[in-house]
Amino acid sequence: MNGGHDLGGMHGLGPINPEPNEPVFHEEWERRCFALTLACGFLGEWNLDMSRRARERMHPARYLETSYYEHWLIGLQTLLVETGLITEEEIARRMGEIGAEETD
Amino acid sequence: MRALKAENVKKILQQSKGARVDVDVPLKFKSGDRVLTRNINPLGHTRLPRYARGRQGVIDQHHGVFIFPDTHAANGDKNPQNLYSVRFTARELWGDSASETDKIYMDLWDDYLEPAN
Amino acid sequence: MSDHHEHAHLPDTVLRVKALESLLVEKGLVDPAALDELIDTYEHKVGPRNGARVVARAWSNADYKTRLLQNPSAALAELGFTGRQGEDMVVLENTEKVHHMVVCTLCSCYPWPVLGLPPVWYKSAPYRARAVMDPRGVLKEFGVSLSDEIEIRIWDSTAEVRYLVLPMRPEGTEGMDEESLANLVTRNSMIGTGLPLSPHQIAHQK
Repeated sequence: MNGGHDLGGMHGLGPINPEPNEPVFHEEWERRCFALTLACGFLGEWNLDMSRRARERMHPARYLETSYYEHWLIGLQTLLVETGLITEEEIARRMGEIGAEETD
Repeated sequence: MRALKAENVKKILQQSKGARVDVDVPLKFKSGDRVLTRNINPLGHTRLPRYARGRQGVIDQHHGVFIFPDTHAANGDKNPQNLYSVRFTARELWGDSASETDKIYMDLWDDYLEPAN
Repeated sequence: MSDHHEHAHLPDTVLRVKALESLLVEKGLVDPAALDELIDTYEHKVGPRNGARVVARAWSNADYKTRLLQNPSAALAELGFTGRQGEDMVVLENTEKVHHMVVCTLCSCYPWPVLGLPPVWYKSAPYRARAVMDPRGVLKEFGVSLSDEIEIRIWDSTAEVRYLVLPMRPEGTEGMDEESLANLVTRNSMIGTGLPLSPHQIAHQK
């Protein structure tokens, strides 16, 4: 699809700004998101091409404004919900429970 | 279905099969052939970037037969096709102000390509 | 919702990842120990030192270099560098006349077994947009200046074939052993956005 991910030749995105000696993961949630995506992929409910497609479908503005692992997170949630492994209600409920625990 | 176990992680990563398919598909092109990429604009998944549609290139080499991602993403159909490395001049893709010498290569399947006139 | 707590709430992203992991573990779909193993593999065990060893061997051993260029996946397998996101490899040799640079404009495809996970810049919009259109400008941003006579070849990783650049062996490295040579091979030189270090650029070890 002609989505926000199809970036070859786009202008105006600014400098590349490579970070010297950058770590493999910058945040703990990135580590978990990476591992969850791979582990769920091995369940066999979807293939690699489907997982790329799940990321590509987000609104182009959102794609450009979110980070790489945020793309993975959005894609993973999309796949989990669409294959029926988890519901959006379950996710929202669990987020609320964890949020409440963390602030106590 | 069962969760992947820690003791199987190394094996499952190292023994990954990739996308190559062990089947023969008649070659549509050979090295040196001039090709034209199709101007497709599917709503679904494709690996033909917009900047390379409707452009003339040359088949550089044949990689073999691979899963076709457009159908694989849509419905799991592997639809194995020949995969070629296709070479484009910078000027073909970006116009006359681009480099005269630089080249862009990308890997494209049978269904993305037509013979160039 | 309590109205007297003044704790900063966890960002949505962090909460969402925790929620997904919690639910998936509860449903028996993921095993936390497997998650830890996946993280450990790519954070500590697989990385560009793998590719550096390959390059150093190719520089030191003409037969290995020939095998590496003619049948890359098999030659990499000799060193144990196989598996996910590296099942079908192509090795691109830099020469006096040709400089290779690798990108994935559509996502972040990268040869994991030899380079590990890609750096943020490789996966981000600016590099993905400019590499195919303005490679010399990109190289300049990385501090690399190539003469106009050199042909730049940019490889957009649109399929599952993965690319490793074999940089040119630097001057003044005659007689160096493979381990010392490997220390000159930077990750960026194996992507094509950099050149290997020269012997005087690297501190002597012990």
